[in-house]
Amino acid sequence: MRLIIYEDETFDNFSPLTLLRATFELRCGATTLAEKLQRIAPWAPVAYFAREALAPVLRERLDAPVNDPASLRGDDLLLVNGRLLLLDAAQFPVGGPDEVLACGGTVIGARVSQAVAEAAAADAPAELIAALGAAVPTRQVTGTVVSYMWELIHHNPVAIVADFKAAGHAGIVGTFSDHATVWGSKEQVYVAPTAEVHPFVCIDTKGGPVTIDEGVVIHPHTRIEGPCYIGRGTIIVGGKIREGCSFGPVCRVGGEVEESIIHGYSNKYHDGFLGHAYVCEWVNLGALTTNSDLKNDYSTVDVYLKGELTDTGDTKVGCFIGDHTKTSIGTILNTGTVVGVMCNVMATGSVSPKFIPSFVTFLNGKFINIAFRATMATARTAMSRRKRTLSDAEAALLDAARALTKPERDKCIRRSRDHGPAD
Amino acid sequence: MSDVAERVRKVTARLLKVKPDDVKPSSHFVRDLGAESIQSIELVAAFEEEFDIEMDQDEALAVQTVGDAVTFIEKVIAEQHA
Repeated sequence: MRLIIYEDETFDNFSPLTLLRATFELRCGATTLAEKLQRIAPWAPVAYFAREALAPVLRERLDAPVNDPASLRGDDLLLVNGRLLLLDAAQFPVGGPDEVLACGGTVIGARVSQAVAEAAAADAPAELIAALGAAVPTRQVTGTVVSYMWELIHHNPVAIVADFKAAGHAGIVGTFSDHATVWGSKEQVYVAPTAEVHPFVCIDTKGGPVTIDEGVVIHPHTRIEGPCYIGRGTIIVGGKIREGCSFGPVCRVGGEVEESIIHGYSNKYHDGFLGHAYVCEWVNLGALTTNSDLKNDYSTVDVYLKGELTDTGDTKVGCFIGDHTKTSIGTILNTGTVVGVMCNVMATGSVSPKFIPSFVTFLNGKFINIAFRATMATARTAMSRRKRTLSDAEAALLDAARALTKPERDKCIRRSRDHGPAD
Repeated sequence: MSDVAERVRKVTARLLKVKPDDVKPSSHFVRDLGAESIQSIELVAAFEEEFDIEMDQDEALAVQTVGDAVTFIEKVIAEQHA
């Protein structure tokens, strides 16, 4: 059997987080959505399907076929929608008859035998599922499907707990100072062999488990509340890491962070509050950058999605920041702010506009095109500092994303010239 | 002085808070007029707004003197308003 993880057509609901990555690469908990899905059948070979524009970078990142129609032939298939948040592998039984699986109105996958798949002669999962038609029954199953980017934040605490259980390890294996403490059950903490926890660190596991992965260093005067996942090579430089945080690899984090996901390779080194936020890779938040995640009237938060303000139905929503974006010292991000890819946000002394399009400098209340080639050079420098290089495929994807987002950027630049940015 | 040169002089003087008479074709934005990196970005944006043009930011930020800015802007105007 082959496991097919695919991105469906709703990737725009996660933009700008998905401008440079597939939906199934988004982090929720300790792992990405796709990494969780592989637990359905860890022994099975995997193939991926996503937007064609992403294929070259996915082929570099994932050690598996991408958008290869041959993956849909030659074996029985288990197709899984990459938006399924798999909290328990038993949710998705591997064996059984051919059937389409749905969760509410969303198709979350299908089990297709080799003969049926080959008869369908489809080149992509959606095409294959459509070809199955009425010949294969649809079964409703219970599960969690993420439909909007703020739902990743909403589900993050429970995903961290699920990932802790799935990893199956606990205990302090690495260096743990005699002057650090676990407040709560020691069964709810894992300190990996090469991790270091310095003196005057408090790990509070009363609210959930805490994983401190390989190579992590926790500096003194840090309080970490579970559930929490700190990814390999990340350094916590002091501060309050409150419940529900996931930090991917090689981040630098300090200050106060609550219920937030930092995808990886990003810095929030200094004081300042980050709450209910999703921060992509290669982001640098300047000192005292702070976001609001709760309105003063406790009403639900609106977020710009595909050019329209959308009611999230949630009262706690922070900000969403695309890859390679930098904020200046003292930046204040409004509740539910969306900042695109490769932006340079300069503090104005007031709250930012709620939507900052990709590839702009925001300066003195105006949006200005970035100097793209100079900013790409800066990105290469930032990546080299973490021993990574920007591949040709990644550079081409950034260029394509810049072209894709030009209409919304031009509109914002024009409007900010005429009237100032929208609220 | 051309219309473009006069408008470049006025925008530069206003943004960098210098006397218009101090803005000469040979004036170097950084060395003579004290433009900081952020002000250079603001200047490019202000020229785009003043002349209703879109400049390549990398090329625009590489321009170093007022006279070269006038030449560059005249070229962009010719391309985009032709």
